[in-house]
Amino acid sequence: MKQRALPLAALRGAVAGAAAGLAFAAAMRQSGALVTVASIVHASPAGLDFVAHLLVAAAVGAGFGTLVSSERLGVGELLFWGLTYGMVWWFVGALTVAPMLLAGRAIWTVAAAQAALPSLFGHLWYGAITALIYAAITPGPSDGRPRVTGGTVGAGVLAGVAGAWLLERLIATQSPWLGTTGLSLATSSPAHRFVFLTGVLGGLVFALLYPQPRDAAGPGLIRGALFGFVWWAAAALSALPEINGGGLAWSLEAVRARFPALPAFVLYGGLVALVYRWLLAAGRLLFADDATPRDEEGTGTRGLRAIGRGAFAGLIGGLVFTLVMVRVGFLPTVAQIVGAASPWSGFLVHLVIANIIGASYGLLFLGRSVGTGSALGWGVSYGFFWWILGPLTLLPVLLGGAPRWTPQVAGALIPSLVGHLAYGGAVGIVFYLLEVRYNPWWVPHTELMAAQSERRRAEVLASASALWVLVVMLGLTLPIMLACGMAPAYSGTATARGAYGQSSGEAGPCP
Amino acid sequence: MNTSIRHTVVAGGISGLVAGLVPALSLDVNSPGTMSVGPAGWGAVSVALQLVLAMLGGAGFGALVRDQLDGRAATAASGLLYGLLWWIVGPLTVAPMAHGHIPTWSLRDATATFPALIASLFYGGVLGGVLPLLTGTFGNPRASARCEPVVRPVRRIVILGGGFGGVSVAQRLEFLLARDPSVQITMVSQSNYLLFTPMLAEVAASGLEPQHISAPVRAAFLRVEFRHAELETVNVAARLVRTRAAGAARIDALHYDHLVLALGAVPNLRRVPGLEAHAFTLKSLDDANRLRNHVIGLLERADVEVDPHERRRQLTFVVVGGGFAGAEMIAELRDLVHSVRRFYRGIDPGALRFVLVHSGERILPELGSALAAYARRKMEARGIEFLLGARMAAAHSDSVVLADGRTVPTRTIVWAAGNQPHPLLRSLPVERSQSGAVIVEPTLQVKGLPNVWAVGDCAQIPDAFHEGSSCPPTAQHAVREGIAVAENIVAVLRGIAPRPFRFRTIATLVALGHRTAVADVRGWRFSGFLAWAMWRTVYWWKLPGLEKKIRVALDWTIDLFFPRDVALLTASPSVPQGLDAPEPGRGASSVPTPAAPPPPAT
Ligand SMILES: Cc1cc2nc3c(=O)[nH]c(=O)nc-3n(C[C@H](O)[C@H](O)[C@H](O)COP(=O)(O)OP(=O)(O)OC[C@H]3O[C@@H](n4cnc5c(N)ncnc54)[C@H](O)[C@@H]3O)c2cc1C
Repeated sequence: MKQRALPLAALRGAVAGAAAGLAFAAAMRQSGALVTVASIVHASPAGLDFVAHLLVAAAVGAGFGTLVSSERLGVGELLFWGLTYGMVWWFVGALTVAPMLLAGRAIWTVAAAQAALPSLFGHLWYGAITALIYAAITPGPSDGRPRVTGGTVGAGVLAGVAGAWLLERLIATQSPWLGTTGLSLATSSPAHRFVFLTGVLGGLVFALLYPQPRDAAGPGLIRGALFGFVWWAAAALSALPEINGGGLAWSLEAVRARFPALPAFVLYGGLVALVYRWLLAAGRLLFADDATPRDEEGTGTRGLRAIGRGAFAGLIGGLVFTLVMVRVGFLPTVAQIVGAASPWSGFLVHLVIANIIGASYGLLFLGRSVGTGSALGWGVSYGFFWWILGPLTLLPVLLGGAPRWTPQVAGALIPSLVGHLAYGGAVGIVFYLLEVRYNPWWVPHTELMAAQSERRRAEVLASASALWVLVVMLGLTLPIMLACGMAPAYSGTATARGAYGQSSGEAGPCP
Repeated sequence: MNTSIRHTVVAGGISGLVAGLVPALSLDVNSPGTMSVGPAGWGAVSVALQLVLAMLGGAGFGALVRDQLDGRAATAASGLLYGLLWWIVGPLTVAPMAHGHIPTWSLRDATATFPALIASLFYGGVLGGVLPLLTGTFGNPRASARCEPVVRPVRRIVILGGGFGGVSVAQRLEFLLARDPSVQITMVSQSNYLLFTPMLAEVAASGLEPQHISAPVRAAFLRVEFRHAELETVNVAARLVRTRAAGAARIDALHYDHLVLALGAVPNLRRVPGLEAHAFTLKSLDDANRLRNHVIGLLERADVEVDPHERRRQLTFVVVGGGFAGAEMIAELRDLVHSVRRFYRGIDPGALRFVLVHSGERILPELGSALAAYARRKMEARGIEFLLGARMAAAHSDSVVLADGRTVPTRTIVWAAGNQPHPLLRSLPVERSQSGAVIVEPTLQVKGLPNVWAVGDCAQIPDAFHEGSSCPPTAQHAVREGIAVAENIVAVLRGIAPRPFRFRTIATLVALGHRTAVADVRGWRFSGFLAWAMWRTVYWWKLPGLEKKIRVALDWTIDLFFPRDVALLTASPSVPQGLDAPEPGRGASSVPTPAAPPPPAT
């Protein structure tokens, strides 16, 4: 069966890829730069380059089909695989192969990446469409893909409303920096309406993508955060500018101008995912006729232990993070949260926070790692989420200011991002090691336990790796690409500056 | 672990080498900001160094993802992630250090090393793509099912009793043997829950719900096999335990390699005539419920009683035994009655009597004299009478008779003056103390039977800190003894000598009702509200599981604002037990009848 399945998947991938290639070409034409492998045949007669482009798109799509054919994935999972795949092809195609063929060597500088930024969004677009079409033309797993019901749609819309409320609030704080992007909520009421509708619609789309999410709250949160990014790209960078008649806003300058809305969308996505999950759980609790056999225990059962282990892991992670904190002189800033100033009090506050976030990791990601690799993946993803929520959002608020999400600020906080990733990675791995010390999932005591372990493992591995890598890939490269070459951050108050890194000259020139 | 770690590390190293070639070839290594290692101009040396690093990185990747090599997309994605982290560790952190700079992780550095970031991505992607090819899982993604095959256990440890001692042994064993499925851990217990005895008096006093202090033992285990059954006999020669499934006649035989006795103790009611028929005990949930219903039933009767003598008897509550169990019990009884008295308008508060009978000259011998005196003062101020130096001579349905001839007319006698180890132990061919406890070595092994261990109230364990005396029968000790036994059993299984048990009481806390308590923490003495807060905090924290903690916290909160519940939950509440004839079967739950002697050891 295997022998036939692989070519078939490749074929489906090719079809999907070709179709996505059309969309890609349309988008690229719109934004003015078709930076793909196909652009090397630009010189040839008109039409030929288009054919070449479609052929390449189909071939790349076939690769996608081959890659994901062995996994049993829902539409939503495939979407993230598609995005990851698209982004990888941006590195391979736009930044490596194309320049190699054109200029004789790969150009991997930030400047080159910045120039190719529209193409990045094009590639993401391509990947997403390939994945969705592939999902549409591939029969689901034998036990059926989860079905969309009235309940899921309702939960999605409600979650969307909750998310929209948050989104509006968050974007409102960024109005001064969103300028003429159409997102500034300072005055315009169409913008208000757009943001609110975007939020609600996002909830609905999320529900359609994940009709019955099986994973725990933590993985759901990461998924939601990433969905927030996708929704930002779709709404703020594409739909809104299109509506306003300006065409896709995928160029460096356009993305920079809309970047302040991105953290808002990420937090929005996280909230939507959590609320959606809770609503579904509540719905199951109240309305499901038959309690579907659940072999998972309630969070409460092992919750205390998970909190304890998470807190310990948080402590270790916090110590790792301290190295970065000390180096960039961030501790006194942290101390200001409690009104102190010395590095030592900062260190204490920092450890307490690390502890609490670690404990929350334990609760959210309990039993969700099936090896050091996945532990690392969840950990760094969670660390990234807290970079957005912590230094970018809560810290300025706790220090009595307001969050400011310009690319310069994000660029100035890259050391903190590195610290958060290191923290998250350490938390994930330490927590996992503690967990398997008590419960090594690979030593089953009954056939039933073995089957459960295997199923959970397959679930985690099949869908989650795309999430982790996409989170980190975007999290690292976007701030660098956008911040690089911008004028020095700003000359705010000492406190605010402290919150964003000690020197305002961080966003230096771009080599 | 199907794919051995060495295999994946080697395969990872090779993949790393292959992956390292990609960026090395595609870029001019000496251009600024790439993954170049060593000073500019090293050329080939730099490339070689870089390849060595790439190989090491690959080996690290192999070790990291050895559990998840079975999905090609998953592994490739993990490779990319690894590449990104590799960029942070390498070009962003180690490289500046190698050149004598302190890493800053700043945007400037990130920008400068951006080419290396992409190179790292390529490296990681190729690494993640090649590794599954080398470990042979590419074409057959689900071939390396990661679970080990289910192993049939070849050895068995049987734990008798699911109280503090037994559960502690089982939990520790489960942890120590987590990766050793060849040893089966079996627990046999009459009750399928762990009874949190420190709060039992509060249940009897209607302050807590019975279920809230009983934690199902199954919930505490991941792999321990639990058998809800009663122990019938132990045959130490044949290493065989016979059990009778709860509520059934079926007898099962269990073979053991190691046996742990943790059967606890039962009240000793034979000491005084009339006790078995007329006294309440406080050892099980049944006991607590019965006592609670009895007291409320008496209040109901007294409220309408016309005979003043009978009413006096009904409103007199006697607890025998001035240790911590007795002191806590009388204090809780008083709290119960005073909390609900308002519902019984026919009862004169002045007619209520609470009497503590104690054979010693001072109560709470477990504590120092200062604390004991404080406790007595406090309780006397609340109207509790003390009959000290008084031995109980007989119990009747309507009175307690003391050795000096005094009588206390009462309808309620609670016995808290002595337990005895589980009577089943008498059938074992082992050395026992006067009270009937199994005498064990300092390693907790039963004398003469190295594969039989005993913990808790049923064992007499030498106290390592007080020559000649033995460990007190408390939960505090039982839990530590359990841990020690588990560790010793595992040591013996692994051919290591077991170690003697050493534990010194950390704290003795006694609740005296109504937000007062006394506490002795390693010689530090506390009393009053602070000690009460300590009592609540400590025992609340010790409650097994989050769920029970929440439930008890809620009960306590409700208790702050509402009177206790006086709903009578017996079928015939109007006839308090112990009033006329001994109720059939009462006491039977507390005092199991000794089983027939075991078959002679062969
Ligand atoms: C009212 C009260 C208050 C207390 N307060 C405190 C306190 O505050 N602090 C403290 O440290 N200690 C306290 N203790 C003492 C503490 O409860 C005991 O020391 C502890 O329970 C001893 O543990 P164990 O495992 O030896 O026995 P237990 O906990 O009594 O467990 C015995 C187990 O054996 C099982 N069993 C009995 N017979 C059979 C059979 N035939 N077959 C199968 N299973 C059987 C029972 O079901 C039970 O699970 C208190 C005791 C009481 C009664």
